[in-house]
Amino acid sequence: MVTQASASSRSRSKFELYMWFFTRVSGVLMLLLGAYSIIYANLMGGRGLMDADAQTRWAFFPISFHVSSTKVELTPNFQNVFWQFYALLLFVFAATHGANGIRVILKDYVRSPILLAWLNALLLIVWLSIMAAAVYLLFVAQGAA
Amino acid sequence: MSNRARVTLSQFFAYRGGQPMLAWLLHRIAGIGIVMFVGMHVFAAFFLHGITGGVASTVANALTDFYESRPTQVFVLFAVLYHGLNGLRIVVLDMWPGLHRFHREAMWLQWAVFLPVFSLLAFLIALGIKVG
Repeated sequence: MVTQASASSRSRSKFELYMWFFTRVSGVLMLLLGAYSIIYANLMGGRGLMDADAQTRWAFFPISFHVSSTKVELTPNFQNVFWQFYALLLFVFAATHGANGIRVILKDYVRSPILLAWLNALLLIVWLSIMAAAVYLLFVAQGAA
Repeated sequence: MSNRARVTLSQFFAYRGGQPMLAWLLHRIAGIGIVMFVGMHVFAAFFLHGITGGVASTVANALTDFYESRPTQVFVLFAVLYHGLNGLRIVVLDMWPGLHRFHREAMWLQWAVFLPVFSLLAFLIALGIKVG
């Protein structure tokens, strides 16, 4: 007999399974995307011009602000649509990976179901607003600079 | 319904979770650390570029001073390096469960990669030496 409770707990565990899978896939993808951006930055004119700090900043968020303190030519190679969407993809992975991690930690330590629901709602708002801030920085602030 | 685990400090230190527990704990601390750093950094940058002037800039500058300080940089280095390496180990062991026979060796291998890389870079950051 399928009761309401077992049906909802099954969809719940399916969600957990998807997030378990997403955490692993996005984790590996972030490392690969980071490696690719650092390699490509050096191939397209950054070699010898970017110090280790700039390379690290660029690796995990390729926005032109991250190399504007160095001597690299920002346009066309370090500030274009490709890197804007690349950085957005990387950031959406990072924000979702991180928000899911915080969700798991909250579930571990917060015992009151009502408090947990409020904290999860707050987490959802922070997750959406940080991605909105990233979109603003990449497509509005960077474009104007 | 009180199923809260009541653990005293001495019980906490007596618990012999060993290497796997240490990895779990450090992974969690590093993960929270990265979320805090990235959160601070992105919101500070947004306050600087999106809402110029006023309280927003003061908050943004205070946050920037904090995460650009050397102790924070060393912690962020630890967090990203440890979380990345440990996550990679977890992914590899999840993908190829047969390798669980070597899970102890995997953790030692992870320390063998982490410790020299972290020590060298932390040393350079702490002394403020620019590389490249």
